[in-house]
Amino acid sequence: MTRAGDAQHKIEAYLGRLRQLLCGMNAEDAREIVEELRSHITEKAAEDGQVTAAGVDTALTRLGSPEELASQYTTDALLARAEVTRSPVRILESLFRWASLSIAGFLVLLTSIVGYFLGGTFMWCAVLKIVHPQSAGLWVFPNGGDTGISLRLGFGNPPLGGRDVLGWWIVPAGLIVGCGLVMLTTRFALWCARQYRKSLALPRG
Amino acid sequence: MKERDSSDQETADKWEIQLRKGCLELAILAALWDGKLYGLEILRRLETDSDLIVSEGTVYPLLSRLKVLGLARSEWVESDAGHPRKYYTLTPAGKQRGRQMAGMWWRFSSSMSRLLAPLSREK
Repeated sequence: MTRAGDAQHKIEAYLGRLRQLLCGMNAEDAREIVEELRSHITEKAAEDGQVTAAGVDTALTRLGSPEELASQYTTDALLARAEVTRSPVRILESLFRWASLSIAGFLVLLTSIVGYFLGGTFMWCAVLKIVHPQSAGLWVFPNGGDTGISLRLGFGNPPLGGRDVLGWWIVPAGLIVGCGLVMLTTRFALWCARQYRKSLALPRG
Repeated sequence: MKERDSSDQETADKWEIQLRKGCLELAILAALWDGKLYGLEILRRLETDSDLIVSEGTVYPLLSRLKVLGLARSEWVESDAGHPRKYYTLTPAGKQRGRQMAGMWWRFSSSMSRLLAPLSREK
């Protein structure tokens, strides 16, 4: 392979990998990102006059790995989206993409799923108390020395041997705690995305 | 004693890094203030005018975010270099955000300068 061919091959391999990682994104946006970076790498690698394999290597190193770059695009899209909508569905959509690109994203996704699930369950419990007043609610089950706590949505038979701790208070309490958990989870996910972006903002070393 | 010095230096370095990271968005808005620039030009501008050496991979996603937020718009322009370049311009909303952030920066830096005045006398 000629030197110019080698340099071109390196650029295409890098951009091909990046294109793969951006596949969850709008196709036109992904195409623009790839073309913009192609332009950057070509110009950067030719700073000494000609595009060389060594120049391409330096340019690619300074850009960071395709995984890191794709993670940055994903977290930035998440932050931009959050300024327009705080919908948990939209936030989770971006978190799933981030999770496929980095361990940090995976951990944030796991924590956010738990947070949204708990928040959603509290809210559902509050709503379903009206439909299943006998069985929905926060139940405590004394079991020898241990005490079990269960948030029940009221489907199935009413629980035996337990005590509904909050009664009708689960309606306001469930709504408040549920909304609070959903809001906290969103804040947590955005905070993590901001921290992650900041951690990559300046060159290392 | 040497260990203490190096740990103090490390703390100061970390603080400086946080400070620089915090003003990246404002720096990009300021770089685009006078007209359109493409990614690499923005990076060079930050490096020469602000001493802000940014990780290259960080600027492009940030520009893309500014675009999604309606603070900047972009256009492809053919260049003599043989490849098209994507130029960014601030939108009126971007100018507004820049003014807002710069206002906060000036207020904060002037009050900090007053507070720090005794330290400069000691220098």
